Formats: sequence, structure tokens, C-alpha cells
Amino acid sequence: MVMPAPVYLPRAELGRLFGALAADGRTVVGPTVADGAVIYDRLESPGDLPHGWTAETAPGRYRLDATSGARAFDYGIAVTAWKRFTHPSLVPLTRARRDGELVTVAPVHEPPPRLAFVGVRACELAALRIQERAMRAGPAGDPDHVARRDAALVVAVECARAMSTCFCTSMAAGPEVTDGADLILSELDEGFVVRVGSAPGGAVVEPLALRPATQAETERAAAQVAGVRAAIGDPVPAEGLPERLRAALDHPRWAEVAERCLACANCTLVCPTCFCTSVAVASDLDGVEATTERQWDSCFSLGFGRVAGDANFRPKVADRYRQWLTHKFSTWWDQFGSSGCVGCGRCIAWCPVGIDVREELTAIAPMTAPAGPIPWPLSPETGRAPAALATLDPARHVVATVRSTEPETADTVTLELVTSDEALLAARPGQFVMVELPAFAAPPISVSRIRADGLDLTIRAAGAATAALAGLGAGSQVALRGPLGRAWPVDAARGRDVVIVAGGIGLAPLRPVIESVLADRARFGAVRLYLGARTPRDRLFVAEMNALAGRADLEVAEIVDRAGPEWLGRVGIVTQLFDQATWDGSRVTAFVCGPERMMQAAAATLARLGVDPAATWLTLERNMACGVGTCGHCQLGPFFVCRDGPVFSVLELGSAFGREGL
Amino acid sequence: MDRSSLTALLGETWFGGRLGAGTRARLAALGQVVDIPEGAVVVQEGMPCLALGVVISGRIALRLALPGGQDRTILTVDAGDVYGWSAVLPPAISTSTGIAVTPSRAILFDGNDLRSALAIDCELAAAVYQRLLETVVRRLTATRMQLLDLYRPASDPW
Repeated sequence: MVMPAPVYLPRAELGRLFGALAADGRTVVGPTVADGAVIYDRLESPGDLPHGWTAETAPGRYRLDATSGARAFDYGIAVTAWKRFTHPSLVPLTRARRDGELVTVAPVHEPPPRLAFVGVRACELAALRIQERAMRAGPAGDPDHVARRDAALVVAVECARAMSTCFCTSMAAGPEVTDGADLILSELDEGFVVRVGSAPGGAVVEPLALRPATQAETERAAAQVAGVRAAIGDPVPAEGLPERLRAALDHPRWAEVAERCLACANCTLVCPTCFCTSVAVASDLDGVEATTERQWDSCFSLGFGRVAGDANFRPKVADRYRQWLTHKFSTWWDQFGSSGCVGCGRCIAWCPVGIDVREELTAIAPMTAPAGPIPWPLSPETGRAPAALATLDPARHVVATVRSTEPETADTVTLELVTSDEALLAARPGQFVMVELPAFAAPPISVSRIRADGLDLTIRAAGAATAALAGLGAGSQVALRGPLGRAWPVDAARGRDVVIVAGGIGLAPLRPVIESVLADRARFGAVRLYLGARTPRDRLFVAEMNALAGRADLEVAEIVDRAGPEWLGRVGIVTQLFDQATWDGSRVTAFVCGPERMMQAAAATLARLGVDPAATWLTLERNMACGVGTCGHCQLGPFFVCRDGPVFSVLELGSAFGREGL
Repeated sequence: MDRSSLTALLGETWFGGRLGAGTRARLAALGQVVDIPEGAVVVQEGMPCLALGVVISGRIALRLALPGGQDRTILTVDAGDVYGWSAVLPPAISTSTGIAVTPSRAILFDGNDLRSALAIDCELAAAVYQRLLETVVRRLTATRMQLLDLYRPASDPW
């Protein structure tokens, strides 16, 4: 659309704009003074704006100061980001009920409030775009976020004052407001130059019948924001920054900054683009009724990367600081095509120990540093969701019934689930489902068999939820969400030899691969199964594997880590089954699943035997909490394991595979 | 078995397959093929290790004894691999007990003869020690992985 020429709103008539927004059915939220700071909150009238206040910021410092003027938007930037409204800290997700064996899970869909954001800075507008892009990505996105963002009208106000912590210029996020706002205000002493940025914005101001802004007024507005740009300069040259950071993953500065960092998560909570969340489960005492809520979380939390069994992929503060900084300034580009930082400077001001991200970037990834090799090659197939899942509704749960249970080992059981849901029945080998039992956090469970009328899930009791699932009996119900994730590329192995290497519970997600290959046996070359387990008692699917071992058209070998004298089979690690192999590795497509350290050993042995890293596939375990790439828990370098994986080739993972603390 | 057949048999194993033809022949000259019945003890932990064996077929379990008589199998040796490497390294004391868990066949090299040959034949020594070192490294790596107990239950902290 052709935007009308700028108009002028006298300061005394600001209330008319508020009235027009109210007439549009909107609640106005914007900056106001509370508890010694400017925050974004509901505004009843222009009188609630922080007239005559500005703020002084520095690393670890924020102070309000009175000004001699009466400007309403001279405060720099508010403490709270707009994500408070688009990505609230608490969002109800489901209400669930368990009556004996019966389970119901209902999504909670609350209509988004119709808000007008007044006072959005250029950097914040960029942040809204960036966070929205992240929440629209993946197989499902975050419908709540999208609905809230779609329901908001944005009234931006260009900056007239630079704070000492600002660096939007370096991040190409400001200070000028170029697009994305419905209305753009430039505050002058006596009033506002108003530009219309969208049709809804035009519809709001058109009834006000404002006079055109004079050339002098528009020039003063432009000069103001130009002065802000000049004052900020370019403190963090961004050219090549993602590559420079990738090359600095082992920089000693990570450990140094970790000595100062409290891992308090302030930086992520005030950050306008950070979107990581966790799901909290609350239930009554008998576990009959339960609700789930999405809550803000932070990659600085100690347990953020923790998985069942207490393994923690980022146990050190240095790991978590590196994760945050490299995500913001490097891997965000891989995932969402932009920087994850807009240079608002909140993380600098609100760091209690005054860590200045600009200083850390300059030290860790200076312009003089060589970019170095990119440690993880990106494949066109990764970094985006499988197309087949593009319409998945993350709140959609399907209730399935346990037809039978099969104890596999002392702590592992297979549930045979019955469902008629077409999406679940279309699951492919390697995909997983989130399994919800009211009152328990839903764990991701790999599908261990795909049947015409349901799925098998093989579950190892490793925590409260999996223990409860493993204890279910026939007739019990569970709620499933999925199928999720990237499947094993079984079709890509047609015409080639197949090597399957499984360790422990890792056989479960590989069983559908075995069954797919055997169902179409003639289309594959030699098929070899190498199975490892802790002890003879810990072997999975024993009868099935014994039956396979009796077939002439495949080779099955198994080994256990330890055994008593009664065991006459092999003892050692799984790679011993093939490290002296003489087969032609160049013809092999390999599928590997087990503990990550085991997979590293297997991948190394396969590589030595000539198997192409691009044809060596494995599945990773990470804290997959949402399953659709919106909660951030399972990030590994440029990937969200739940969305881009869990199946990856060794080539795709590159040096991210097995790297400690990543 | 004649010498050329034994040399060929040795060449079919992982241990002997990559030795040079001359080296392999000189090593084979020191060996003899033995059949090992199921249950036979081929080396005894803590006792003199009298011979190096290259398994041709079958399976040898290497076990460590625990107090109370509970043996644990810590490794199995299958076709191509070796047992009794202690025989080439003074004081030539076995570090585990080797038991044939299936009827097995092996090429045996007397420890005294082998040590004497390795002392005077540098080319043979370089080849055999290289192979034995690879074996020991592979077992050390495996032992480290086993020590990690990667498949342990979540309820069983490391």
C-alpha cells in the first residue's frame, strides 16, 4: 500500500490517539514508571507515560533520572521486553484427567488479548520479528505466540536518546524504524511526527484528522534519530561474527567469563528475543487432575540440558555462557536467518556483575581473528522441519490404549498401543512421540514398532514419568503427541549394504529400521546387525533377535559388556563385533543408536572401515521437551535435536558430535 | 599340518593377515595347530603363560576370578584374535584365565621359542610386537568403554 505523508500529533492530543486505540477495541500497553524503573504495563491514559524521566544505564547499572523536559519517551528502553505480552512467562497448555485407566488431555486455547503496544523501539520491533520468526518455525511453531503477535497493533517510537549500553547499530536493528510497525512516532518537544506503517495503523489515525507534518518537523525527527546513530557508533562490528564465534569455541575466555557469571539468567529473562521455556506440571494429590503450563526458562539454568538419568549436556557455567552467546550471535543465523541479538543492551545493564556482551564478543571473536573452518557443515536437509510435519498442531493429543505389555528387562517394558489416528500410524522409523500421563512431564519415546493398528513404545524406567509408563497395564490409556522428528533415511539405503549398530535401549528406535529392511529385503544388499548390551539379562527383544540370527539373509552378532561364566556368547564392546570386518565399507549405509560415547566409537570404527560419514546415521539424545523446536532445551550447535533430528548423519553433525558442553 | 598350510591358515587371521609373506612364514614355522575342547583352560590367571595362541575358530573367554569363586568374563576372543600375549613379555605370567567356551582351534606358539626368535629376528619382532600392541590397545580401549558402563540403569549412578 502507499503510505500517506507524515502527520503531526500535538502532545496535548496524545489522549486522542489513546482513544482511537481504545475505539479499535484495544488495551493500550506501554512504558510507565514502577518500582524505580520504566516497565511496559497497561496504560489508562497518556498520564501514565514516564513524562520527564530518562534512564542512565551502564554494565550492571540502571537508574532513573528526572529530566528538565516533559517528553514521554525519553527513557531509553524499558526493563521488560514486549515478549511479556507476545510470549508470556506463564501460558496454560493442557488440562488432563486420569480416571483409572482412562485419560483425557484437552488443550487450553485462550483467545489472545487485543493489545496496542505503544512505545516500541526499533530494536524491539526487530526483536518482535526475530522471536516471531522462531515461533513460526518448525513443524508446528507456537500457536499461542503467533496468535498474540497477530492480535497486537504496534505503535513504534523512534529513539531520541542513546543509552550507553545501546548497540542496535551493530546489529542492524535500529535506531531508525523502517518497517514492521503499524504507526511510527517521532517525539519532538511539543508533539509527535506520525508515520503510518500499515493499513490497520492508518485506520487508527485517519479519524483523528491530523494535519500534515511540516518539513521542518520531519527534518527535526530525522536529525534526532541520526544523532542517536552517531552517538552509538558501531561497538560490535558484525561482519563475519557468526564465523568468528564458531572458530572460537575453545577460547579460554569462556572459562574466564564463567568465573564472573552467576548463571542467574537475568540476561535471558530481559532479552527481548530469548524464547526458551519449560513445561511445568501441576496435579492434585491423587494425580487425577493435572494441568501443564509453559514457563520461561533459561539456557543458563543448571538443569536446562539435563536428560533422564541425570546426564547433563551443559554442566558448567562456561558451557552455558558459550551456548547463550554463540546462539545469539552465530547459530541463530543458521536456524532463523538473522542475528538473535538486536543490541538493546538490557543484558548488559541487568547483569548483576556487569558482564558486557560487547566486551566479551570483542575479546572472544575479535575482527582480527581468522574465521577458521566452520566446525559443523550444514546440509540443505537440516535446519528446517520435515515438510510432512508442517501442519502439526503441538497441542493435539491422541489418546491411545495399551493392548498388552511385554517386559523386556528388569527396567524396560514394551507397550503395545492401539490407535486409529492416521498421523500416528504414518510414523516412520526413527520418529518419536511425546507420551503424556496426567501429573507427569511428557517424555519423548522412540517408536519401536509401527503396526497397522498402532505403535509399540519400548520404555526404560529412567525417571518418574517413564517409571509410571513402564508400570502401565493392558487397558490403560496414554496421550500421544506426534509423530515427531526426522526419520531414519531407510530408503536412501536401498541398493546398498546395511549395517545396524545398537547399544542397550538404542535397539528400540532401530527395530523399525530392521523391520522396514526385512519387509523389502530384496532391495538391499548384505544386512548386518551388531547388538551390544550391558549384560545378558539386559538384551532387548531376545526372541526376535534370536529368530533373526537364524535367517540366512542377514548376519546378527551380539556382545555384552560383562557376563558370568554361564554366558557363552561374546563379551566386550559392540565395536569388537566389526572392527576386524573385511566387508566393503564404501557400499554401506549404517544406522547407529546407543549411548553417545558408544556411537562415537562405532562411528570411528565405521569410518576406518570406509563407511562414508554422510552414510553413517545416528540418533541423538537431548532434553527434548516440546518436540517441535520451540522450547530450546535440545539445542546442539545449529540444530534443535527434536526438530532437525534426532536422526543425523555424522557428516551433518561434524565436530558438534561428541563435543563436551555443547 | 604342513608348514605351507599353517602359513596359509595364519594368513587368514586378523593377526597374521597383514604380516609380510616372509615374516608370516618364519612365524608359522614356530607354530602348531591345536584343537581345544570346550571347557579347556588355555591360560590360568597368575600362572606362567606358556604359549601365544591365535584363534582359528571357536571362542575363548578371558575371565577374572572374584573372591567367593564368582568368575566374570571380561572379554571373549574369537577367530583371528589372540590370547596369551603375556607369553612374549617376561615374566610371562597370565593376566586372566582363558577358557574355551566352544570347541576351538588355535595356532599355538611356544613362549620360549617365540621370545628367542623375536630376540634375534628384528623384522619378525617388529611385526609381531606391532600386532600385539594393536591387540592390547584395542583391549585397553574396550576396557575403558566397559569401565564407563554406558548402558547402566539410570538408577545406578556411575
